[in-house]
Amino acid sequence: MEPRLLRRLASLLLSGLLVSLLATAGAMPVLAAVAPSAVAGTLSGPGEDDFIADDPFAEDLYNGELDDAILADPLEPVNRALFWFNDKSYFYLIKPVARGFRLVPEPLRSGVDRMFDNLKAPLRAVSCLLQWRWRQTGVELTRLLVNSTCGLAGFYDPALNWWDLRKQDEDFGQVLGHYGVGGGCYLVLPLLGPSTLRDGLALLPQSYADPLYWMLHRDGLLGCRAGALVNSLSLDADTYESLVREQIDPYLFLRDAYLQRRAAQVRD
Amino acid sequence: MSFTLCTSRLLAVTTLLASLLVALPPMPVQAAGLPAEEPTAVIRQTVDGILEQLRTLPDAQSRRDRISALVRGQFSFELMAQGAMGPYWHQASAQQRSTFVALFTELLEATYMGRITAYTNEQVRYGQQQVRQNRALVETYIQSGNTEIPIFYKLLPHQDRWQVYDVVIEEVSLVRTYRSSYTDILRRRGIPGLLQEMEQKLEQLRAETPPAVEERA
Repeated sequence: MEPRLLRRLASLLLSGLLVSLLATAGAMPVLAAVAPSAVAGTLSGPGEDDFIADDPFAEDLYNGELDDAILADPLEPVNRALFWFNDKSYFYLIKPVARGFRLVPEPLRSGVDRMFDNLKAPLRAVSCLLQWRWRQTGVELTRLLVNSTCGLAGFYDPALNWWDLRKQDEDFGQVLGHYGVGGGCYLVLPLLGPSTLRDGLALLPQSYADPLYWMLHRDGLLGCRAGALVNSLSLDADTYESLVREQIDPYLFLRDAYLQRRAAQVRD
Repeated sequence: MSFTLCTSRLLAVTTLLASLLVALPPMPVQAAGLPAEEPTAVIRQTVDGILEQLRTLPDAQSRRDRISALVRGQFSFELMAQGAMGPYWHQASAQQRSTFVALFTELLEATYMGRITAYTNEQVRYGQQQVRQNRALVETYIQSGNTEIPIFYKLLPHQDRWQVYDVVIEEVSLVRTYRSSYTDILRRRGIPGLLQEMEQKLEQLRAETPPAVEERA
């Protein structure tokens, strides 16, 4: 891509991030006032025949609490605007490029996807370590070592194929969650999509854990990240399209699904 | 924290295993009031059936009808609808409830079918099965690209058969997600408002033919 376009994209992203952060800071008192009532409003008292509330599998999948994943969304108007922006960028810019990527044979794209994922292994290892998860840290370090060498810089995944060592999906947001930091409030980041105040802030130190950050200049880094994103989207089975097509309010569905998934990720 | 969680989980699994070992040999599962069929067998039959229809039947309409019949046989849409409405279920009139169940059935079916259709050519792996009290959890995994997507089915006995009352995809429960987004709409627009929006969405879905799954290879 053209460097000027990339630079513009970067400034757009940064300014969007700034605006949303500023808005968050401004909304803090509102948040404190709104949060309890908002949560109370959505919490459902377990009705007599509420089969979801007295689910014996709740402790595994719902962690006992029915709506522990629910988070206040005091920035909903801002979030919805950013959601609209992301939606349009997805359909008119990112996805068409991703479709173009589909001309490249699938095994090649999968391999490249694994290579980019391999670069996140240090982040995952550190995140595991920060939660004192020794076994998982070991798994991630082994994966990094083996896949970077025998797996040709991560193009193949011998650690999985030979020893069934699976990726441990941990990040800094989950580390914070592990130590009791709540999500704060729901946040939609420009181009990056659903997040929370906690997970959004965790992205800043997280970028230092990316080896590419130390290897490339700003434009190259941004290009690489955009490439990785588009490449992985070319492998996706159009999940977002079907969500938008089938849901009455895709914003709400995506928000609630995201929060549920993050709560589950923090828990395990 | 993870240690205690781990121990309690281990304890739960051991107790479950022990009770199964003790309970199983002398009497069949039926005696406990549970359907004789294994929950995994029920899910396997449905999922494999759906995938087979998708692979063999060329005509989109007949495919959809067959799959719909399969899904409706195994999924308890009434229970799912009730779960999705949450506390508002008690406020709804009998008329509103039946309208909601009908609309929700069609919408959820479209969602589930959309997802399963996207993975037509992928392999399904069946994982563990757990039975706790009168509920069952069946784990399935779909290989998609570099990741394995966990899809768990939750079942309970209904009319002497195991019926699915929730589908959990990547730790996200469909019923719970519907519940929280519908509760939001219900709070703003009330029951008639939600029903109206569902109706509109369905009309829109019926009008368009579902997009063919794009070849990713």
